[in-house]
Amino acid sequence: MQAMDILVGILSFEVFLIVFAGVLIGVMVGAVPGLNGAIGISLLLPLTFAMEPQIGLLLLGGIYMGGMYGGSITAILLNVPGDVVAAPAAMEGYPLTRQGRAKEALYYSIFSSMFGGLIGVLVLIFFTPPLANFALQFGPAEMFFITLSGLIIIGAIAGENIYKSFFAALIGLFISTIGMDMATATERFTFDSQALRAGIPVIPIVLGMFCFAEMFHNLGKKANEIVTYKDQQIKRMTVFKDIVKNKWLVIKGGFFGTVIGLLPGVGTTLAVFMSYGEAKRVSKRREEFEKGNQEGIIAAESANNATVGSTMVPLLALGVPGSPTTAIIAGALIIHGIILGPDLFVNRPDVAYTFLYGMLFTVVAMGIIGVFGIKYFAYILKIRMEYIVPTVLVFALFGAYSFRNSVFDVLAAIVIGIFGALFKKLNVPLAPVIIGVVLGPLIETNLTRSMTIAEAQNLPLLQYMLTNPLAMFLFALVFVILYIVIRMRRRTF
Amino acid sequence: MMKRKSLYGVTALSLGVILAACGDEEAGNDNTPNDNDPANNNNVANNDADNNAEANADDDAEETDYPENDIDIIVPYSAGGGGDTVARIISDELSDELGVSINVINQEGAGGEIGISEMANADSDGYTLGVFGYPDNLVLENTADTDFDFDSFEYLAAFDDVPHALFASPSAEFETMDELTEYAEENPGELTFGESGALGLLKILAYEDEAGVDVSAVNYEGGGDLINDLLGDHIDVASSSITSAPEITDAGGTPLGYAAEERVEMFDDYPTHLEQDYDLEMGVSRVLVAPDGVPDDVVNALSDALDTIGESEDFAQQFEEANLPYRYMGHEEVNDYLENANETLQPIIDENEDDFGGE
Repeated sequence: MQAMDILVGILSFEVFLIVFAGVLIGVMVGAVPGLNGAIGISLLLPLTFAMEPQIGLLLLGGIYMGGMYGGSITAILLNVPGDVVAAPAAMEGYPLTRQGRAKEALYYSIFSSMFGGLIGVLVLIFFTPPLANFALQFGPAEMFFITLSGLIIIGAIAGENIYKSFFAALIGLFISTIGMDMATATERFTFDSQALRAGIPVIPIVLGMFCFAEMFHNLGKKANEIVTYKDQQIKRMTVFKDIVKNKWLVIKGGFFGTVIGLLPGVGTTLAVFMSYGEAKRVSKRREEFEKGNQEGIIAAESANNATVGSTMVPLLALGVPGSPTTAIIAGALIIHGIILGPDLFVNRPDVAYTFLYGMLFTVVAMGIIGVFGIKYFAYILKIRMEYIVPTVLVFALFGAYSFRNSVFDVLAAIVIGIFGALFKKLNVPLAPVIIGVVLGPLIETNLTRSMTIAEAQNLPLLQYMLTNPLAMFLFALVFVILYIVIRMRRRTF
Repeated sequence: MMKRKSLYGVTALSLGVILAACGDEEAGNDNTPNDNDPANNNNVANNDADNNAEANADDDAEETDYPENDIDIIVPYSAGGGGDTVARIISDELSDELGVSINVINQEGAGGEIGISEMANADSDGYTLGVFGYPDNLVLENTADTDFDFDSFEYLAAFDDVPHALFASPSAEFETMDELTEYAEENPGELTFGESGALGLLKILAYEDEAGVDVSAVNYEGGGDLINDLLGDHIDVASSSITSAPEITDAGGTPLGYAAEERVEMFDDYPTHLEQDYDLEMGVSRVLVAPDGVPDDVVNALSDALDTIGESEDFAQQFEEANLPYRYMGHEEVNDYLENANETLQPIIDENEDDFGGE
């Protein structure tokens, strides 16, 4: 009887409307450089306080799903990924745009996003309890090994020259050390500046590296040089069939998104780049990567939307939010007096199940908006570059400011943008910088935690870190990945 | 060539406009009180009339123009956490009461130091307020090189009292404070205590003093990571707020005790520290503050409004629903309370100063 009520509750016009509105808002904030799903959610959070909890949650879930996709639109069309997770879409999609294949790239992006999103939500619906327990197995040692393998993977994914990729990653690691050290609050590279003590957050770095750098890079060019837009016609079905042909990339993307998305803190970024790296590894057309290979788009886009479902697994099952976005969603639930954890499904099945099944609608809504919106998104390319550059810069400035309401972040983004433009001129890839910035603190804190615990238990560090099978497996994985990367890159050494 | 020039031109122009706009805004904010007096005499007069009407209705209210503009509340934590929740509940009610918009601004970073320092340095005109969890400010000012101290703020009210607690991991061999101490005595230095936030480490240090044992503190950035590692048995004990108790017990962990004189209704399934003879009185209390030097009429207007809200049942209920133990203290009460609390906490911080911020 109750199950029936819940089902009827889901199939209501109100639910459809709110999900659709959420996804639309998500796509829009995602598409604007510097804004992302997390920011959209925190802006609309107060609005949900007045709603039924499940409705409010679905609004936020829709923004999360839409935001994960929206970033790819501007990434593909303008080479300005608004967020780290859209970086591979820019690396592969923008070259396609320059070849006049923008719509094709957009179709690859939306179809893969839908499949990935669907995999993530299905996993959320059917496997939440076992996966949540799996996520708990990841302690400091396991997290250290997996983040380290992520850092090594960047050697495989970006740029022509492996030394330049590692140089870029080291720059990222360096930036991540600025500020107070997490464990002991020691100040590093702060030069007694109050503003630098909290470190430089990821958002201004992403904006600097991707938006400002791209726009500065464009400044020196003639406007008509930037995009040679030919409206090449492409049938949706052609793309769809190609994606079906590449089903293993989609499934692997969904797998990376699901499994790595479970891990607190690293989730999305690592999943996206691991999936992208894997696509490059298995590709028969590896030399086309970063020159416009749709396989990269498929792998990355299915992974990033798959994380939407999986990052919610620990939240719903244990009450432990795994990403900034889910932390805000947790806050929304707390305000409604809903206690997260295993009892959620017993105490408030109406909220839990409406939300779970409603998340399926977010995938559908994203598909509708994405597929039918492509015609309109592509109009961006008809806008002359002299209007685009300042507009993107304005949005990027707002984005950098609004993250912490800080003028310092705006300055940081501009300075990093200047360096980014310089890197572009020197053919140093930018994605590894961001990976270094994101993974640096995780590698460091998990290593220091491991050291503290090993010392407490009077064990040598490595012995503590290899006490359980999962850790041993991940330790071996680090070396396997290293071997693969070196073999892949031997030609360019 | 034309195109190229216009690309530079438009960009420079638009950047210029933005910078000018930013500059204007700041200048406008700085000068607001001065600007209003000569230029908007009519407005001021009208407001006076309004206020007189109000003053007649309510004899306690003093004559004041405050508030004429929107108010910002700075929260030094990210959106979605307990401190943020409190700030949003307050801003909602206070905005209705005062009749102006109140914006909540999250400025997280460095364990709250960034945002708290921003509050301390804001103009003391009553249009920038702040909400933070006491004793974050006290711990920070003693352990970091902060540019604020306890007296940098006018404490207007406190809203809740969230006891700090210790939790044992699912596989731990102890379930009470005494068993914990016994285990710690048998295995000196081996127990790992995870902590996050300013109060987390303080609590562990206080426990070591109280029980005369030696344990190892492991730092976590946020409560989420901390509880994940506790439930996965990667650490033995977590030092965290009692509000995490339902999630932790559901997953097999055990609350060892929490800091309260008597069991709080919301958490009466769990033992307190005191009933097990441990004196570890520590909790977080969210306070609303203004920068020091804020005019008396502003303080009075705010504390009158806050007292009205503080007594409303609806307001209290919003806290209860968010799983936050509600405890309102008005302007005078909160100052007495905080001075007492400082006296309790200061010795613990002083004794352990070496353990903060460095090996």
